[in-house]
Amino acid sequence: MSKLKINGKEKDFSHKIPSCLSELLELLEVDGATVVAEIDGEIIERSKFETTKLQEGQSIELIRFVGGG
Amino acid sequence: MSDSRYNPSASELEEITRANIGDKIYEKLQASTVAVAGLGGLGSVVAMSLLRAGLGNLIIVDFDKVEISNLNRQQYFADQIGMYKTDAMLENLRRINPYAKITAHTIKLDARSVEELFSDVDVVAECFDVATAKQMIVETVLSRMPNVGIVAASGVAGFGRSNVIETKKISSRFVLVGDLESEIGEGVGLYAARVGIGANHQANAIIEMLIEKKN
Repeated sequence: MSKLKINGKEKDFSHKIPSCLSELLELLEVDGATVVAEIDGEIIERSKFETTKLQEGQSIELIRFVGGG
Repeated sequence: MSDSRYNPSASELEEITRANIGDKIYEKLQASTVAVAGLGGLGSVVAMSLLRAGLGNLIIVDFDKVEISNLNRQQYFADQIGMYKTDAMLENLRRINPYAKITAHTIKLDARSVEELFSDVDVVAECFDVATAKQMIVETVLSRMPNVGIVAASGVAGFGRSNVIETKKISSRFVLVGDLESEIGEGVGLYAARVGIGANHQANAIIEMLIEKKN
């Protein structure tokens, strides 16, 4: 099983889950500079996206901001 | 024709606001502080709506000056072009309530100044234009300021589609407004109408947060 829950939906990764948050965002083609991330209820600051290792079964919330206001 | 204009006194304004919202809510709003970060299409509207509601303490922050390109959606006037937005907004807010407690900071906010300036406020209104700035302030408030609420906006560009702009309660102290995807870009402009819908979703969510906040 190589699963993560992303924004409430289970996502299956064919071999293994991405190693860190940055890798996940790259895979999802999302610019990390516009994302507020939470893993199992805890906010992860953007400066720690690369060093935050992911573990199977974690619940990840990604809020992406778009420009305009 | 005689000019029947007059300036109300502080107690007249207080009385009429109390009559509108009731003493209990009036006192709650009067005791509250909201920081509006960014005074563009979102912030200029949020600030006015909060002040009109009866908010006691308003902090407004922007580093920019009023430009001709702002008049399509931001609550400034042609004769204010070239002024700092903080000065122009202060002027406009004072015309709504000359007695209100308003603090203005003309600076470009970063994570450190957000923490310094906003650590004692009840709610921060994220009213920036640029996506990375939105990210910065939401992350800072959520990760470093556990007693502060934040109401942010994302996805208010373009026209029409009023009903896809939503108020989403992400947690007890984080509310997100917008359709989360309508981005400015080539051929997609900003309109007072749609940005204003988002801004008043924000103001409305903030009022609700303040009224429901336990002391």
